Amino acid sequence: CEDELNQVPISDASTASFYRNATDFEQAVNGVYSTLRGYPDRAFYLSEVRSDNVYGVGEAGVRDWEPINNFAATLATNPIVKDAWDSNYQGIFRANTVLDQLVARPDVITDENLENRLEAEARFLRAFFYFDLIRTFGKVPLIEHTLTPEEVLLVPRSPVAEVYNLVISDLEFAIQNLDETYAVVNRGRATKNAARGILARVYLTRSGPNYGIEGPGMASGEYSKALPLLNDIIASNRHSLVSPYSRIFAYDNENNAEVIFDVQYRSGGLGIGATFPGTMAPTTYFSAAGIPFAGNLEIIPVSNNLLNSYPAGDVRKSFTIHPNYTYVNRVFEPRAFFRKYLNETGRGQDRFDWPINYIELRYADVLLMKAEAILQGAAGTRAEVDNLVNQVRSRAGLTTPLTNVDLRQLMEERRREFAAEGLRWHDLVRSGLVLEVMNAWAPQEDIRNQIRKPITANHIIYPIPTSEMDVKEGLYEQNPGY
Amino acid sequence: TTTGATTTADGTYSISVPEAAGTLIFSFIGFSSQEKTFSGPGTINITLSDDAKSLEEVVVIGYGTQKKAEITNAVATMSAEKLTERPIARVDQALVGQMSGVRVRQTSGVPGRGFSIQVRGTGSIGANNEPLYVIDGFPLEVSAQNAGGGFTTGNPLDNINPNDIESIQVLKDASAGAIYGSRASNGVVIITTKRGKTGKPKINFNTYAGVNQTAKKLDMLSPEEWVDRAVEMINAAWVASGPNRSATQTTEQRRQILVQRGDLPPGGVNPNWMIDDRWLQPGHPGLAYIDWQDEMFRRGYVQSYQLTANGGTENVNYYVSGDYLDQEGIAIGVGYRRYTGRANVEVKANDKLKFGLNIAPSFSVAKDPGVEGKDQQMHIAVSLTPVSEENVDLDVNVGPNTSYRWGGTRNSPIRVVENSIGNTEIFRTLGTLFAEYTVLEGLAVRTSLNLDNIDTNIKTYTPAFVSGTTPTNRQAAGGYNGYRKQTFVNENTLNYNRTLADAHNFSVLAGFSYNFSRFNNVQLRSAGGFQNDIVTTLNAAANISGTGNNFTRETQSILLSYFGRVQYNFRDRYLASASIRRDGSSRFGNETKWGVFPSASVGWRVSQEGFMQGVAPINDLKLRASWGIAGNNGLGSDYGHIPRLAFANYTFGNNLATGQVPANSAYPFLSWEESETVDLGFDLGLWENRIFTSFDYYVKTNRSLLINVAVPTASGFATALTNIGKVQNKGWELELSTRNLTGDFSWDTNINLTHNVNEIKQLGPNNAPMPVPSEFDIPNSILQVGQPLYSIWVVRQIGILTQADIDQKVPLYGTQTVGDPKYLDNNGDGRITADDRVIVGHPNPDYIWGITNNFRYKGFDLNVLVQGQWGGHIYSLFGRAVDRTGQGFVDNALGFYRDRWRSPEDPGEGKRGKAYSTFGRIKNTDWLYRSDYIRVRNITLGYNLGDLLKGSFVQGARVYATAENFFGKDWYLGGFNPEALNTNGEDYGAFPLAKSLVLGLNFTF
Repeated sequence: CEDELNQVPISDASTASFYRNATDFEQAVNGVYSTLRGYPDRAFYLSEVRSDNVYGVGEAGVRDWEPINNFAATLATNPIVKDAWDSNYQGIFRANTVLDQLVARPDVITDENLENRLEAEARFLRAFFYFDLIRTFGKVPLIEHTLTPEEVLLVPRSPVAEVYNLVISDLEFAIQNLDETYAVVNRGRATKNAARGILARVYLTRSGPNYGIEGPGMASGEYSKALPLLNDIIASNRHSLVSPYSRIFAYDNENNAEVIFDVQYRSGGLGIGATFPGTMAPTTYFSAAGIPFAGNLEIIPVSNNLLNSYPAGDVRKSFTIHPNYTYVNRVFEPRAFFRKYLNETGRGQDRFDWPINYIELRYADVLLMKAEAILQGAAGTRAEVDNLVNQVRSRAGLTTPLTNVDLRQLMEERRREFAAEGLRWHDLVRSGLVLEVMNAWAPQEDIRNQIRKPITANHIIYPIPTSEMDVKEGLYEQNPGY
Repeated sequence: TTTGATTTADGTYSISVPEAAGTLIFSFIGFSSQEKTFSGPGTINITLSDDAKSLEEVVVIGYGTQKKAEITNAVATMSAEKLTERPIARVDQALVGQMSGVRVRQTSGVPGRGFSIQVRGTGSIGANNEPLYVIDGFPLEVSAQNAGGGFTTGNPLDNINPNDIESIQVLKDASAGAIYGSRASNGVVIITTKRGKTGKPKINFNTYAGVNQTAKKLDMLSPEEWVDRAVEMINAAWVASGPNRSATQTTEQRRQILVQRGDLPPGGVNPNWMIDDRWLQPGHPGLAYIDWQDEMFRRGYVQSYQLTANGGTENVNYYVSGDYLDQEGIAIGVGYRRYTGRANVEVKANDKLKFGLNIAPSFSVAKDPGVEGKDQQMHIAVSLTPVSEENVDLDVNVGPNTSYRWGGTRNSPIRVVENSIGNTEIFRTLGTLFAEYTVLEGLAVRTSLNLDNIDTNIKTYTPAFVSGTTPTNRQAAGGYNGYRKQTFVNENTLNYNRTLADAHNFSVLAGFSYNFSRFNNVQLRSAGGFQNDIVTTLNAAANISGTGNNFTRETQSILLSYFGRVQYNFRDRYLASASIRRDGSSRFGNETKWGVFPSASVGWRVSQEGFMQGVAPINDLKLRASWGIAGNNGLGSDYGHIPRLAFANYTFGNNLATGQVPANSAYPFLSWEESETVDLGFDLGLWENRIFTSFDYYVKTNRSLLINVAVPTASGFATALTNIGKVQNKGWELELSTRNLTGDFSWDTNINLTHNVNEIKQLGPNNAPMPVPSEFDIPNSILQVGQPLYSIWVVRQIGILTQADIDQKVPLYGTQTVGDPKYLDNNGDGRITADDRVIVGHPNPDYIWGITNNFRYKGFDLNVLVQGQWGGHIYSLFGRAVDRTGQGFVDNALGFYRDRWRSPEDPGEGKRGKAYSTFGRIKNTDWLYRSDYIRVRNITLGYNLGDLLKGSFVQGARVYATAENFFGKDWYLGGFNPEALNTNGEDYGAFPLAKSLVLGLNFTF
């Protein structure tokens, strides 16, 4: 009866018992996608709250997002920063698991197209996670296979260029092997256009200035590599601008023509609902609206600078931003918050259970990235640029066309178009404007003198989380300034 | 020559002796022997006196018994005879303060909850720290205490009727415990239930009834003091909110300023900047001032009835019992009820074959609407704003009422506990069937089949009208959880006893055992409320879908064991014992399935030596030395070594897309934790055991400790399970019993005193200190080599900041100003940060002790148990709710704030800074308290009615009055219970212990 000692889990599968057929592999790939679910909150904190779009102070104690907003030196222990490291590596590990198992069990999937697609999806997501890591931390350990913890203890941070190499080769593989489009049951999986768009974003980011740090910018001058990718998306005729602006984010209009890649959610207490609409809105707003949400999330206020940047008639302002409200007990809240994704009637079971998808890449971004590539030196004319920008503006209700749009104007237009979509900080960084814009903004906005000034190049990326630094002394070196 | 005889059940005897004169020795287990000389035939009546520490006493050890005189390792014993003489609800409660080296912590005051027992300190970090319980030879599945203070898979002593217990032994060292192999490293508690005694039926009826109430109330600000603080804070916030704002501006003036700026609608109120003017009016018209603790606590009634019958013939003996216990808790809505039955029957089929059945079905219901822990109702009652609208009063924020505008958004805790359901029902059946066959004289084979089946159902329900933050968002919540836990054990042993040449006594044991354990659980929750407030079961839930909250799971494990033991003594003088056990467990990794656990011990009864004869006053002296290795297989998971997959779902096009991802890395070397104990001790009896003392010195080294070692998250996981740590517990134990007075007025004293020092010897691969993650802010405890486990690690407060401090630029935390606390800049970098944390204490007491005094005079008996602990600390996370810098005015604060810093001229006691502080907070020594306490755990005064009732059918009767936990002292001002454990491994809203006053009756028929 000693055989009885070899018990296997009853309520869990194990790696030994799994990966036996195509369905298992599809579930393994779904598990990689699942890692994306935390991405929107993080993008909001690390890119929007970090930028000139948000200014706020936690009233009831120090909130996790506050040190990000005020450039505190203590970010190495910040849970949001830690989550950016942990979640991306978790996603990379899951992608590597799929890729390694595909190699280890080559005959399990008989449909070669499906096998290639699953590999391409895993590699697309791995590239997505590594790109997020580069933008957040600069150099990071490069891990292409599942390694044991002992093996990972021997992998230091790799130069940004090497990490980019993997990102680019993964995305190129993805462009080759992903499907153009999917049937309804698979809508939301990465497409060829998604891979093209993200790769274009990678090239734009790499081409940005390096600010003298080992961050996402390498001044690589690859704008002309981005351009054809963006043109391919436009030429595919699968996407268009959705009008009016509000329909892009409508709960009953998901997977619309504007969406190129999104993180998908479903409410109903299944654990696959979205958190970001609730993250951006304070609890008191919901209780004022009679919505039974527990918790006590404070307002994360929109900066006056962003509020004032919208010209009259810009429909994006009122759709994106909720100006003020009154608490249940008649306390007035004069500050504004982002309500771009919020539709109270479509809520799920709690404040962490919204059905709405998070659009990571949409057609307007493709058009404006193309304008950016041309302005930065890729082939094209100023008239083309104006035309691209004016397409986006006219949807916003701004009928007077702009002419001779320059980079600065383009970035301001992107700011208004994509406010609350997690792009602002990255846009500022890759356009080279970040230090100038932020240092002009901070003194003007910071009436409570909370922001550590001046904002320097070291603040472009975040510190390696203390928990990682502490695992093994000398394994990673900390980013300068932290 | 020696001749012997035994008495009959009623004590009569006869003996024929060949000599005309000589000496008769009368002895009985548990009593002192007496010698009488005789000459010729006649009647000799004798009364034996109770022997506090008889060496003839038989001690139950693993797989057998041994005379106390022959024990060579550290075994603490407790006769349970006294359990019926005081009102005890649980067996673990009875152990408090009774034995050296055994720390019994009452971590919760909620009735029915299991106690935590630690034998010789804590030695494990990532695995179980509770002992193995063995009831009538049946080793129960070990159960670890969770971070919330409960026992997730049930406490092994749940539903056990203390009245059924005959004796309790604790095997403290690895030498004694090693026979239980991979489960014994935290000690083994051996419980023996009562057997029938040969003779005519004897019936006992015991009952008690009494009242209980909270042993402690927290010192919080009174409503008036709360108002005083709120006014100060609101004024300060107003002044800080903009230029030209002063504390002297009236509410109306403030309103005008705000309305003018558009920061307030006309007639509006901003409670952060405007006070409630009624506070300052005489008699605060329209407002109710409330002491929520007084409203929450009540006087609860307790009652218990126990009926037992035992008896036997030559061939059959039986013990049958039933018990009903009803405890009303000290707070509204809390209670515990238990029904148990037991039958122990033993049949002697013939001279060689004996078999028997013990069966004990039981049922209990614990009612707890959620009173203990963070954000639970006792926390809320303590911290809730003590002011309410008069027409709302206690009904704050329930039903149509909103919360008080200057108050918190909690629902009235009174209405919540009155209307919520939190019932834990346990139905347990514990059964043992055994047979013993004597093959030839001295050789016996025994087999037993044991089953412990525990079915637990937990129903929770909170109606809508006492939930939500406003009248518009109330929603009922409910759930139904349950589990079935089954342990099946088959033990087979062969025992051989032989004495050679009247001098060499051997006892040999060999055995095999099979242990199967299974745990199934189910959880269902409502999502989206209920259809109404009438039906509380989940058929009326709006929605119970969702795999995260609703599931069934199953897990099981197998343990196979081979074991053997040899005990030898030479003329009861030189004693030796050695045992070995080989355990194979399905919980261990594929490379480490089997473990071997050896032990050895020796003893020398010096007092038996010729040269000691006549060395008065020593009548007994034994030196002992033992060594052994025991294991700990309470690893938390049955499958820790297997890389398991977890669900990580996603959705495509609003279709659920099931995802599966690895949840842990493989660890084929996962093994038991191991503890090695060396024990040196002696037992000494003086003046015919008038004074009896035992002393032990031990070093217990726990190694291969299971630690979740931090690994780079780039591996996909933050930690990896590894058998790597090492912790040492060193200490000594003293037990001393004295019979101070004998005779009509007798007085006995039992003292136990334990000193234990705990030190981490090794952690991860590079011994890096491991801060213990806290769910609440930065870690406040740390594992560090050279320090005790879970050392408290926070910033040290060293006073209050003065203007001079600011001028001298002392290090500050953030935007601190005058009147804020001053912290120690430990690393000297000129600012206060989390890096300035220092170790300020440790949670384990250095000393634990208990003193029992027994007085008897004629029919009266008086028993007083005082116990306590010394030298440890507790870090009160509850401080985060009621004692934090930067705390708003809404929640009530600890009484310390009465003497807060108010101005440079009025700096208060220097403990707490100003009420309105805006620098935030950092975990510091504010929340650090000594966990020392002294508790008069029990005073029982009894009177034996035997003589009064003589002649009636009652054979004996005793009436008694008991005060449990009535007097005591602790230094824990930041919470109710210095031993509390309820949230994330710490105290964050403990429920207080009860004190009770009880009258009891014991009848024997």
